[in-house]
Amino acid sequence: MTGPVARMLEEKRVVVCCGAGGVGKTTVSASLAIAAARAGRRVLVVTIDPSKRLAETLGVERNPPEPVPLPAERLAAAGIVEGTLAAWMLDPKLVSDRVVENFARSPEDARRLLDNRMYRNITAMIAGLQEYTAVEALHGFVMEDVYDLVILDTPPSRDALRFLDAPDRVAMFLDRRIFNLFVPGEGSAIRRMATRLIEKVMDVAFGEQTRRDLQQFFDLFGGVLDHLNHNQHEMRAFFKQPDIGFLLVTSPAREALAEAGFFARKTRDELKMHLCGYVLNRSLAAQAGYAMPDPAALPDDADPALRSGLSTLAGLARVEQQKVAEHLALAADLETRAGDGFAWVLPMLGGGAGDLADLVHLADVLVAERPPGHPDSEETP
Amino acid sequence: MHFLDRRVLLISGKGGVGRTTVTVALARAAARAGKRTLVCEIANPEGGPSAIGRLLGLDGVGPEPVAVGPRLDACHLWARTGHARFLQSVLPGKALVRAALRSRAVDKFLTAAPSFHEMGLFYHLLTLLRAERDGRRRHELIVLDMPATGHTLALTGLPEILLRLMPTGPIAAALREGQAVLNDPDQGAAWVVTLPEQLPVTEAIELLAGLSETEMPAGGVLLNRMPPDPFTPAERAALDGWIEGRQVFGEVAFRRIEAAAEARARLEDRVEVPVLTLPELGDEPVPGLVGALANYMAVDGGGR
Ligand SMILES: Nc1ncnc2c1ncn2[C@@H]1O[C@H](COP(=O)(O)OP(=O)(O)OP(=O)(O)O)[C@@H](O)[C@H]1O
Ligand SMILES: Nc1ncnc2c1ncn2[C@@H]1O[C@H](COP(=O)(O)OP(=O)(O)OP(=O)(O)O)[C@@H](O)[C@H]1O
Ligand SMILES: [Mg+2]
Ligand SMILES: [Mg+2]
Repeated sequence: MTGPVARMLEEKRVVVCCGAGGVGKTTVSASLAIAAARAGRRVLVVTIDPSKRLAETLGVERNPPEPVPLPAERLAAAGIVEGTLAAWMLDPKLVSDRVVENFARSPEDARRLLDNRMYRNITAMIAGLQEYTAVEALHGFVMEDVYDLVILDTPPSRDALRFLDAPDRVAMFLDRRIFNLFVPGEGSAIRRMATRLIEKVMDVAFGEQTRRDLQQFFDLFGGVLDHLNHNQHEMRAFFKQPDIGFLLVTSPAREALAEAGFFARKTRDELKMHLCGYVLNRSLAAQAGYAMPDPAALPDDADPALRSGLSTLAGLARVEQQKVAEHLALAADLETRAGDGFAWVLPMLGGGAGDLADLVHLADVLVAERPPGHPDSEETP
Repeated sequence: MHFLDRRVLLISGKGGVGRTTVTVALARAAARAGKRTLVCEIANPEGGPSAIGRLLGLDGVGPEPVAVGPRLDACHLWARTGHARFLQSVLPGKALVRAALRSRAVDKFLTAAPSFHEMGLFYHLLTLLRAERDGRRRHELIVLDMPATGHTLALTGLPEILLRLMPTGPIAAALREGQAVLNDPDQGAAWVVTLPEQLPVTEAIELLAGLSETEMPAGGVLLNRMPPDPFTPAERAALDGWIEGRQVFGEVAFRRIEAAAEARARLEDRVEVPVLTLPELGDEPVPGLVGALANYMAVDGGGR
């Protein structure tokens, strides 16, 4: 391990992978985790993505209550000898239950809240709560020091921003003042009037039972909320630490690049977090130096199907050659944009990046000295 | 029954698979086939650009349908619009309605209290379904671009969840009214957009399985960005051995065609709903996809 990605994996305690939908965040997270574990680190990869693909590829259970170590057979297959690798797919419901258990005012309150009809049906809908609890969990892992490195995979970036903003957002959506408005019988005359109006509207429009359940929910949840609000600043500071790095994953598609740019501005310039660099995934830049398929170069007695196949392939090849040039330009542009950071190219794998061997292959590319297709690369293919 | 002969189509799928593109293409194709069509997207509560607006060349999209072509309108679903319309319809007496709509406390409450945002969106959709003009339905078909999977199931299962939360009062009646349309296989369908690759196909299969646990009828899968296959089977077999390790341009495209065919075969094998395949197109995919969808309608006899 020698290149800048390898260094990042050595130096950071947390690497957060962000990017637009479908660009390969989950794939890159898993590959990074494998690379670091191969280098001997104790690694945890955490995903708050609702999808299950990482679990399947790594051979671990979905939505377990705790991180799950990879089975020995997968570790061996991935060439992990000294390091360790565990994966945790966060189940939103489980995570929020845990927050309730830990932070309700009393065990009795926690039980009543977990039984509350509102709570049981809507935890997934409380904006920001999931992301917030994921951050809490992450924070916990880093503090416990069980892992040298935690890789965090995030949902598509509009949501990932939500994830960065989680503390503020929880505060906004679960504004304490709204809670108070809804808990009857306290406060100034004006507030009591507002409360009565809400009650009246609620009873007519949504039914008295709904109103009662909600009131109970708000009342019980208040204790949890106090805790969350209290921790906001600590979380903010946590993400600004220099050993927590952000990695922007993008594909060569226009929208994905635009989102990566937006995200870079947000993390680096606005939130003052540490941006390690870009990964340009699904790129053809690695094919710089490939040859054009040439049916004329075939021997005279070649299979006629191969000959006609090659002339058809030539059409696809010209398009691909053109794209290679575009992707090389993109990679150079990202390198400029990255400033002190890196811009790393990952090849587009024709068969998709579906199995462990693919992830291991990408892991090797990530920790090489130079990205594939880079002008300074000694061994262009 | 033709797949467009519904009142509402919910278009769902993973991030980046082409949901928005396909939604707009479907709506265009339906309008072209003669249906009064409305294409909708859920407004981002934080504002920001509209994805369907961009594809339709609109500056902004609001909660009121605006014409964007012959027989085609577009609008956003806004929770706040739904809340206001709901309160107007159920609160007794103008004074209470006025007080409620003017009250910052009520507004804040509806914005912030969990599940009321979704309820507002749902009610807005219901008012669009009810809308009439010139003594007939304003829109025969509503095509809705759903948020990326993860939230999709929550939304397709939404009337059920909301009914569990709000089982009484006028809201329950409204929810049941909407549910009667959405969950009736003759009127509502959820379509899953996916890509012809291994994992996206696995996820589409899982999404459909999840959908079958809700009351929402599954329409089918739109397999988007299928690369056209220009090779004969003999050419493919010959190339398969030749290309291995040869480092020529076109290799990725060739492998992708093979992988796509495999993914599609697996999808068709594993799901019971129809699979419509849409081709991979160049830079401006919407017009091309409209053509492809229009072909399906012709092949299926147009259904009308
Ligand atoms: N370098 C690659 N070459 C080929 N296929 C790839 C590559 N990287 C990722 N993929 C494939 O692209 C698809 C999306 O990848 P992935 O799930 O990692 O993206 P994501 O950014 O996590 O998506 P989401 O935003 O939905 O969470 C998967 O099918 C994956 O196998
Ligand atoms: N059949 C197709 N052929 C070529 N390009 C396509 C096709 N379908 C979609 N695209 C392109 O794929 C990209 C993503 O499409 P789109 O924005 O519709 O996806 P989405 O699923 O709505 O994404 P998001 O999750 O970000 O909302 C766009 O650049 C679009 O032009
Ligand atoms: Mg992912
Ligand atoms: Mg979209």
